[in-house]
Formats: sequence, structure tokens, C-alpha cells
Amino acid sequence: MSALGKVVRSGVGRRRVQSLVMALTTFAAVTSSVLSLGLLAVVQAPFEHAFSARNGAHLAVQFDGSKATAAQAAATAHAAGVTGAAGPYPIAAALDTTVGTDCPDKDFAGHDNGPITVTTRPDPGSTSGMDQLVLTQGRWPTGPGEIALPWQHFATVCFGDSVVFSSLPGKPSFKVVGFGGSVTNSATAFATADGFARLTAAGAKSDVQMLYRFAKAGTDADIATDKQAVAAAAPAGAVEGGQSYLTAEQQATGNAKAFVPFLIGFGILGLFMSVLIIAIVVSGAVASGIRRIGILKSLGFTPSQVARAYTAQAMIPATLGVVLGTVFGNLLAVPILDGATKQLGAAGATIPLWVSAVVPLGTLLIVGTTALIPALRAGRMPTVQALVAGRAPKAGAGRTAQRLASRLPLPRAMSLGLAQPFARPARVVLVGAAVLFGMVGVTFAVGLGSSFNKYLDTSTSGFNVASEFVIPTADVGVPWGRYGPNDPRRPHLDAAKVAAALAGTPGTKAAFGWGESGATIVGAPPGGELPKVFTVTGDVSWTKMELLSGRWFSAPGEAVVGDKLATTVGIHVGDDVTVVQQNKQLPLKVVGINFDTNVGDYTVMTDAATFTAAGLAPHIEQFNVELADNVSGSDWSTSAAAALTPLNASVQPHSDGGKNIVVITMGALVATLTLMVVAVAALGVLSMVVQDTRERVHDLGIFKALGMTPKQTIAMVLTSVSLTGLIAGLIGVPLGVAVEKATLTPMGNAIGRHLPPSVSHVYTAGLLVPLLAGGIVIALLGALLPAGWAARTRTATALRTE
Amino acid sequence: MTNPPMIALQDAMKKYDDGPPALAGVTLSVASGECVAILGHSGSGKSTLLNLIAGLDKPSSGTVTVDGTRVDQLGEAGSAKYRRASIGMIFQFFNLLDDLTVLDNVMVPAQLAGMGKGEAKRRAVELLGSLGIDRHAKAYPQRLSGGQRQRVAVARALMNKPALLLADEPTGALDSSSAEDVRRLLLDLNSEGQTIVLVTHDVQLAASTARRTIELVDGAVERDVVNDGSGAGLAARTPLTRPAGAVG
Repeated sequence: MSALGKVVRSGVGRRRVQSLVMALTTFAAVTSSVLSLGLLAVVQAPFEHAFSARNGAHLAVQFDGSKATAAQAAATAHAAGVTGAAGPYPIAAALDTTVGTDCPDKDFAGHDNGPITVTTRPDPGSTSGMDQLVLTQGRWPTGPGEIALPWQHFATVCFGDSVVFSSLPGKPSFKVVGFGGSVTNSATAFATADGFARLTAAGAKSDVQMLYRFAKAGTDADIATDKQAVAAAAPAGAVEGGQSYLTAEQQATGNAKAFVPFLIGFGILGLFMSVLIIAIVVSGAVASGIRRIGILKSLGFTPSQVARAYTAQAMIPATLGVVLGTVFGNLLAVPILDGATKQLGAAGATIPLWVSAVVPLGTLLIVGTTALIPALRAGRMPTVQALVAGRAPKAGAGRTAQRLASRLPLPRAMSLGLAQPFARPARVVLVGAAVLFGMVGVTFAVGLGSSFNKYLDTSTSGFNVASEFVIPTADVGVPWGRYGPNDPRRPHLDAAKVAAALAGTPGTKAAFGWGESGATIVGAPPGGELPKVFTVTGDVSWTKMELLSGRWFSAPGEAVVGDKLATTVGIHVGDDVTVVQQNKQLPLKVVGINFDTNVGDYTVMTDAATFTAAGLAPHIEQFNVELADNVSGSDWSTSAAAALTPLNASVQPHSDGGKNIVVITMGALVATLTLMVVAVAALGVLSMVVQDTRERVHDLGIFKALGMTPKQTIAMVLTSVSLTGLIAGLIGVPLGVAVEKATLTPMGNAIGRHLPPSVSHVYTAGLLVPLLAGGIVIALLGALLPAGWAARTRTATALRTE
Repeated sequence: MTNPPMIALQDAMKKYDDGPPALAGVTLSVASGECVAILGHSGSGKSTLLNLIAGLDKPSSGTVTVDGTRVDQLGEAGSAKYRRASIGMIFQFFNLLDDLTVLDNVMVPAQLAGMGKGEAKRRAVELLGSLGIDRHAKAYPQRLSGGQRQRVAVARALMNKPALLLADEPTGALDSSSAEDVRRLLLDLNSEGQTIVLVTHDVQLAASTARRTIELVDGAVERDVVNDGSGAGLAARTPLTRPAGAVG
């Protein structure tokens, strides 16, 4: 081994703690960066690629066939901002379907298949023009009895069998000959013109669809403006709905993309901490090794060799951290990305190779540059000065602080410790910065974690609030949603009789009934989850269901719309929304937007009486019952059972709703990254205190010779970091809150939701006060080990140390 | 009935690693009010002996009793409290804390022992006055001469009114005038009844300051003699104690 190699190896070996800190900090930074950049690339790229390759439409607009002719719709191709258009295509929206009984799988045969939107294209297999369709299995329909639809909209095991339009008279049936669709979900089923005619002949309402590309379509606001321009070019009130490519993108990438904002936050934080820790450790190594540098140079080491030696001492552990971080980041990405790309037909859920190359190399470049600066200083240091200067702090440094601290009414060991950092102000700044970044990370993570928990909290709001549930007896022990809402086997409650029975049961304080009506929403995004229309009977005010705007429905014809549907489609309070059940349309006035993550993405809630008055069938499938205070659930159940059993209804005890796996994964990831950040911050402090303790070992010997006990020594060392920790905490917490605020909104947007104050305003006084003390905790955590070492230092040896 | 000795070492042996013992089973005693010089060349074991008495180090075997306390049995905290209460130390290179003023340096031992700040300050000022350096109370040690610094160290050592003053080469870093100054100071303190153990390799200092000189050679007591003040007879006197198996 060369002399330089030996110097590097001994340097790394002498500073094992600092080397570990450097490895850990780069590990944390690279893990976060690989994940965030990788996720961005992976979730964004397939959609962007597919959208570009298939010349996707920025906007698909559906015109009411009774208000606009095909020619009038086609004329909107000349609306302001339109750079390209396709259509008009006939379209029939939200037609209820069931899987044909010819499907050999009994679990699917005859079952509800949900509503689908059917269109026809002159040449669905065309590889030119706008919104080119892609076939993933089978072929495009060629006859009037054939249809193709995306794999997500039909049971794979029933491919080749029939789909039945169950709400149309005559229940026309089509053979599923292909799985395929549009990148922007412009429609969910494709038939031939003859096939489409069969649907309209059976009673389906035929509307007109136009597809557009615009000059400016980068944001939701752009698309909204474009949509207005199209609407202005069409007959008044003709536009029924519009599907933005941004919605499709969000549906395709949402869950995975929701990880990106906080991963970017942690990535940047990690990178800052890497730079900081490397600067701390290498500067510290240079500062405390000045005499060693002098000896090396007196032995003939050139300035360049000295600089390389000190840079290499940082680069070896940093490289280890970078390699491990890259591997770990790739491994963590697998569960997060699983399924995120499937929808777009992407082959694998792995981070692109270029990310795994650029991030580590970039990190090494940054840490190398950071290490090189103090290393060059070491190399340029005159030999004699290095040999003579040693490592003592400059005379006079910290004296004022000592004088002032000695006046404080503190035990002497603590006042000595309190003033100690002022002897090395630059070092204090570095320690403070490490704690500050740590506290930014902790505050950010605690806020995110609290928000996630609020978001996850499915048991305290909405349809999950109840002392007891009453459900159809046939549903007891049966998984929720086994049969679709329009499936004839799905049992319903006799709302009026059950309500009366509950009202007559002693101990019932309040109750309301609700159910999925099986209706769908005109203009709802065809991709993603199926839209749901809930019919409700009774008072829901006690359930703490959260309204983002407007009020709850109180009159016939009123409805409350879920925020995701409102955001995606652009529905506001005062707008109308049309629901369709069994091919019957019902316009509803939107009087409120609510936030509920438990019952689906695209939801509308209205009073059951509204449905009944319009000739539609409300479905009531569950009653939520609130019991009066001091009423035993089991006693009430026994008492209620007598009245409910004849109504084919049963009491089911309350149980927590399922957890959102995406949010759980995020929570786990946030916790992991936070622990890493806190560990790195504490190790940064540890590294500095170790260095400080080494340099002050002689003073420690003096103190101990004068009678300082081990406890007093520990108190002195811990106090030396506490003020720095406190100040860093006081600065770090507000910064962390700001970072959380800046991150949470984009995360909500990524999953298409406006997060209400209950989710986004989580920094209560009860949370902030302990957080503000967190800086001290990190500082003390970091200083605890070296404080113990200081207490155990042998006095006689320390006194001999110069 | 005789008073128990202030210091009593019984077969005190200290061994580091595999080398020869630094202290080879020393047995000696020092009476209260005595001023004893420990004389020896570099490596003779005199600093090790001082460390054992101060509770800074523990013997590998044997016992060390100071002012009735078995120092060799004390833990870390007990040793620290013992030093506070019973020991004052002065060193060759003073070991003052550069970032504290002279007054603060002197006050530290009392404050560590829990004495109130006001009381500690009164006593420190009094000590500095009696040692003639009270005008430097607010100065920092680096601005003082070697002799002045050693006086500050003496003041600090006396702050808790220790039963025993240990001086490790107290004049080793001083010019002759300052050294004489410190020597007189030690004599004065001893004449007031302060028990002093003075470690030095300076025969003249030992002879002129201490009433008794113990000479260590290779970790063993070579001679233990009472001085006549000239130091001339040190080499001819018969050792009073010679441990079995000691080298040299």
C-alpha cells in the first residue's frame, strides 16, 4: 500500500464514528433522491410517452345529442385555442352492464359489471389521427354483435364471452372480442357503427363526442379555459361533460405521484445534510489534525497529496453510503411502483438506470467538492504553522460568553458548558445547522404523519360513524360489495320499516340509512374508480361528515358531491349534475362539496326521497345508529333484534374500515426517512462533540482534578449543545411547518383531492410545543455518548495530553 | 495515643501493561502538617505516586489511605468528591483554564463542590489577596507571568481548604526568581500547618522546602530522610523504608 493509501486508511480508521455518519447521511440523501427522481420518471414517463405516441386528446367533450347536432359539434373544432380536433363520434354514456351468463366463471356470470360509455370510431385500429386506440388483447369489433373495452372494465376470465346492457329494453348483448382503449379514457367501450345503432335502437341516448388538442393545455386552468371556448362555440347548454387528459394522467399516476412531493422534500433535506455533515467532518478532521498535517508535510507529502488524503477520507464512506442508498432506493421503489405502470401497459416497475447513475454520481460530485475545500486548505497550510499551531482554540475565543455564563444562576458545570460552544462559533453554526435540518425533517414528517392519520381515520367520520350498524340479514358475514349495486342478488333494506323499528327501540338516539343506488353520473371520468351515487334517508348531521363548501342537501333535487369528482370534473356549488339509473336521467342541484375518503373517488349523495319523487329507486343497504349515552350496545342489539329480524335486518357491531395501503406505505416511508434524518442529525452532533471532547480533553482533566464528578462532566457536555439545539429547534420547526404546507397540497392534488383543514391543519399547540423542544432532544441524543466518554476519561492521562 | 497519619500507603503497586511496575509496592506514611518532598528522576514513579494519593489513578494492588479515606476503593464520583474535599493540586504547567478569569479559575473548585457564588467569590478574593495577586482577579491567565500563574494555581488549590496540598514540579516551568517565590509560599503554607506533598526532581528545592525527602528509584523508595535544610546529606542517608523486591 502506498504511503498516501496508508494515511487515508488510518484516517478513516481513526474516525470511525465520523465515517459512519458520512456513510449514513449520504445513504439517506441518495435513497430519497433515487426514490423521488425515479418515481417521477417512472410514473410520468409511460403516460407522457403513450400520450405523445398515440396523439392523445387534451380534452374529450360530450355534447347533449338533443341540443347539438353532429355538425354543430364538429364546428367547435374552430373554437379559440383549438389546434386539432377529431370527431364527431356518437357516444352513449353510462350504460349499466352485467357480465353475460355465458361466462364460465360463476363468480362473474350474470353479475353487475358497472356502467360503461360506448362510442364508435370509423377505424379503431388506425395508427394515425388523434387519440389512437391501442389493443392489448384480441381484436377490434367488426360486426354489430361485437365490442371491445379496456381490461379494467371487464372480467379477464370472461374474455370472449358477452357483456349485457342490462338497463336497456331488450338487454342487448355484445361479445367481448378485444381488450383495448384510449390513453385518456375518452370512452370505455368501442363498437362498430352497426353495433352502436343496436344500442340506440334499444333506447340508449345518443350524444356526440369531440376530441381536441389545444395550444395551451398544461394546467387544469388552461383546460378549463379551453373547455369554455368550446362551450361558447356550441349551442347553449349543449356541453354535457368534458374529460381532461390531466385527469387521465392523474388516474394513471396519482398514487405513485403522491409520493413525489415529500420524497423531493426529503431528498433535498438529505442532500443538504450530506453536504453539511461532510463539511463538518472533513473540516473537523483538518482542524483537529493540523499537527498531523504538519508532520505529514514535514515527511515530504505534497500539498496535493495531503488534499487528496483528506478528500479520500470523506469519499470512502460517502461512496459506501451512495452505493447502499442507490440499492435501497431501488428496492423501496418496487412496492410503491407496483401496479402504477400496469394501467399504461408499461413492462416493469423499476427505476430507470439513468436515475441510478445520475443520482449517485451527482451526490459523489457534491460531497467530493464539499470535502475538497477544507482538504485544499489543509494542503496549503504552511508546515511550520501546522506543527506549531496544534489545535488549541484561539486565545480569547469564548471568554465573554464564559464571563456572562458565570453570572447565570446555574450549577457551575452547566454554566461552563453553556459558554463552551462560543469558543468555536463556526462549529456551533455547523452543529446548529445539523440539528436545524433534523428538526425540519422531524416537523415535516410529524405533520405529514398526522395528516396521513387524519386522512386514514375511517372510523370517526362519514358513513363509518355509528354505535351500531343495521344491515340486511343476507349480508351478515358477506364481504362488502360482493354483488354490484344493480345486481338483483344484492339485498336492500325496507327503509321506512327499519327506520320505524329503530325509532321504536329504546336507546336509539339517532339513525340514518344509506346505500349505493347503482346510478351513475353523466360526465364522470370514465377511467379510475366507478362513480357512485348514494341515496340517504334520515339525519346525517351527527356523523361529522366534512363539507369543504356549501351545505348539506335539505330539499328535493339537491345533492352533495365528493371533492374528487368536483375537482376532476370541475363541479362547483350551484352547478347541476345529472345522474342516470336504469337509463333514467335525473338532474340534481349541487349544494355542497364534501370530503370523504371512505366511500369512493367519485361520489354524489342525495336524499332517497329525491330519487323516489323522480321515479328512480333509492337503495338503502345500511342504517347507522347512534345510541343514547349509557346504553349498552349488546342490550340494545338484543332489544332491536326482535323488531329487525322480521324485516330481514340484523345488527352488526361497529368495526374499523379498511386502511388505505398507499397512505400506510407513505407513513412507513416517512417514518423511515425521518428516523434516518434524525439519526444523521444526532450523529452530526455526536461527531462534533466527539471532536470537541478530544480537543478539550486536557481541560476535562483539569476539571476532574479539581473535583468535577462524572455527572457534572456529563451535565457540562450536554449543556454545551443544548442552547444550540434549542435555537436550531426554534428555527427548524417553523421551517418544517412551511415545508409540510408546501408539500401536502401537491400531494393532495396528485390524488385529485382538496385536503380539508381537518387533514391539512395538524400543527396544534399540543404538537408544536414538544416539537420546539425537539432540537434540544436531537442535540442531547447526539451529545450523550461523547458526554459519557468525557466522564470516563482518565484524569491522569487527560492531564498529560497537550 | 498517636494521631493516624494523613497519608498511608501500604504495599502500593501500580503496573501498566506488561512493563515493569511504575510503582513497586511502596509503603510509606505522611503525618498531618508535614511537608514531604518526593524526589526522583524522570520515570522513577513519583508522578504515579502523586496520582494514587490524589485519587487520579488506582493502585494495581495495595492500599492508599488519605485523611482516613481509602482512596483506592473510591469510584469515579467518590474520587471527585474526595479531591474536592481533601486535595488541592498544583502542577508544573499550572493547568489554569485559559478562557476563565483568574477569579473564576480560583472559584471553580468551590462552585463544583456546591458553594454559593457569593461565598466562593469572597473566599477567592481573600485568597488572591493573601497571595498578593488580587489586582489580577479579572485578568486572564495568559496575561500573567509564570510565577503569578502558579500563585493563582495555589489559590485555586487552597480554595476548598484541603487537608492535603499536592504540588507536582511546581517550579519546573518558572524562572529562578519566580521559583523562589513559590518555594517561600509553600514554606509559609506549611508553617501554617498545611500538609504538603511536593513532587520534584530538584534536590535543592526538596531540601529547602520539605522537612523530609523520599527518594524514588524505579518505582521503589530508595531513601526516606529528614532534611537539615541544606540538602547536602541526602545521598548519604540510609533509607527508612525499602520494599521487598523493589528494583534498584
